[in-house]
Amino acid sequence: MAFNSYSLRNQFPILQQTAYGYPLAYLDNAATTQKPLFVLDAIQDYYRSFNANVHRGAHFLSDRATNRFEQARERVAQFIHAPENSHVIWSKGATEAINMVAYGLEHLLQQDDEILITSLEHHANLVPWQQLAFRTGARLRVLPLTSNGEWESEYQKYFTDRTRIFAATQVSNAIGVSTPLKTMIQEAKKYSAFTLVDGAQAVAHYPVDVEDIDCDFYVFSGHKMYGPTGIGVLYGKSQALEILIPYQTGGEMVRHVAYQATEFNILPYRLEAGTPHIEGAIGLAAACEFLIQQDRPALLAWEQKLANHVYTRLIKEGGIELYSPEKNTTLVSLSVPNIHTIDLNAYLDSKGVAVRAGSHCAHPLMAQLGVSGTLRASFACYNTLEEADQFCDVLLEAIEILGDD
Amino acid sequence: MTDFPTPCFPTPHAIKQQLQACRSKEETFKALVILSKALPRLSDEEKTEDNKIKGCESAVWLITVEDAGRRYFKADSDAKLMRGVLVAVISLVAGENQQTIQKMDLKSELAELNLSSYLTSSRSNGVLAILKTIGQN
Ligand SMILES: Cc1ncc(COP(=O)(O)O)c(C=O)c1O
Repeated sequence: MAFNSYSLRNQFPILQQTAYGYPLAYLDNAATTQKPLFVLDAIQDYYRSFNANVHRGAHFLSDRATNRFEQARERVAQFIHAPENSHVIWSKGATEAINMVAYGLEHLLQQDDEILITSLEHHANLVPWQQLAFRTGARLRVLPLTSNGEWESEYQKYFTDRTRIFAATQVSNAIGVSTPLKTMIQEAKKYSAFTLVDGAQAVAHYPVDVEDIDCDFYVFSGHKMYGPTGIGVLYGKSQALEILIPYQTGGEMVRHVAYQATEFNILPYRLEAGTPHIEGAIGLAAACEFLIQQDRPALLAWEQKLANHVYTRLIKEGGIELYSPEKNTTLVSLSVPNIHTIDLNAYLDSKGVAVRAGSHCAHPLMAQLGVSGTLRASFACYNTLEEADQFCDVLLEAIEILGDD
Repeated sequence: MTDFPTPCFPTPHAIKQQLQACRSKEETFKALVILSKALPRLSDEEKTEDNKIKGCESAVWLITVEDAGRRYFKADSDAKLMRGVLVAVISLVAGENQQTIQKMDLKSELAELNLSSYLTSSRSNGVLAILKTIGQN
């Protein structure tokens, strides 16, 4: 394989350290990824050379900052294949972007309308819809997907004439499966529902083409794709964005203000009240650039290979429940009967392996799987086969130590 | 009284020796696993919602029993390390009266036992909630 994770790794300074005397194996990438020098430098460069507020006072630095800020929007638009830059709205992250839509569409919902989500959602793509349903008298319905990410039978009956919003994740953060996204979106469109796709777990791994997915809204967070925290994106088709009531108002998003009334600005500014996260936008654009420069199919193949390697080793051991699929995923999600995942996590941590134990912000999905939580090892392009083996070795040791009564 | 004072617990002194001898996180982990075995498990009837401590990622139950002004504690958790921590905590307070327990600085006592990483107020951490429950009621 031409791809070499070792040379890529050198671009991530944080990975060159030990934890409690062991080589640090960072396998919690589905929570957040580490940042390459390219991103770190872009952020530094912003503060060192062109920090100023954007869209405001016309002066040398402000012009530069504004230009780079809008170039960042353009870069992100290209990255997800958005037809226009103004379709990219900055947010704090996926969570805020979903909330922007949930509030923005409230004025269209009526008693007994239906909001449909899937059974694989992160709380971020569940609670805002549930609360919207509470506020409006609409009903939250859940389209059951199997833990392989497949349809349950009779899925069509979940889409009805009352389905106003359909929100689904592209990839499950808890069990790593991809959903049948395009078919679901097509089905939702038959009923003229607004469609939102949670791409938080997709963007770091899969090329995203929002035009091809054909959803009304697509959301993701920068920090899960090698970019900084505190910045994310709400992409929307222009008619969809136009219909949203701004959920925050204030400066920057207005064209004219009088005490009697305010005229809002055009997109994208209409949905971006206040001074934006300029440094975040620039960092996120650098992360897109970083990914664009890579051989992305090779990165994905590598990440999937690591997950598959772990899966194959652990399935051979027996006594381990695996919830992630064998193939086509970049993470491994598991539990061991009679051993708490927190205990496994603590032992892995004590030997330098960073993973995540718990419900992964998906309580209903955990209930569907019949567990209180899982242990998740999630891979990024800089992870190595040695780290995958370190995870397996230490996990098996932990099971040995913890399973003796 | 049936099964109090707390049966077959290592003494606070023994626990202190064991835990302070740990040179690494890994050794502390192993010591806690051994300590956890000293904790008698609760019956299902004792694991009520009322006895459950909120704020822990693993389930933790704590029952206080008072006998002639002295306090004893029964506890359980579905996580083994937490059971080890419970043994350490309970050994510090078992058999004392309420005033004494309230005056104790359990946080620094646990820190002395190399358990400070269990005391950070991260989302997943319930040891502080346990200390609060022990000191409060
Ligand atoms: C599938 C999914 N959706 C949404 C989110 C929320 O992302 P953020 O916390 O960055 O807003 C996450 C993050 O864990 C996620 O994995």
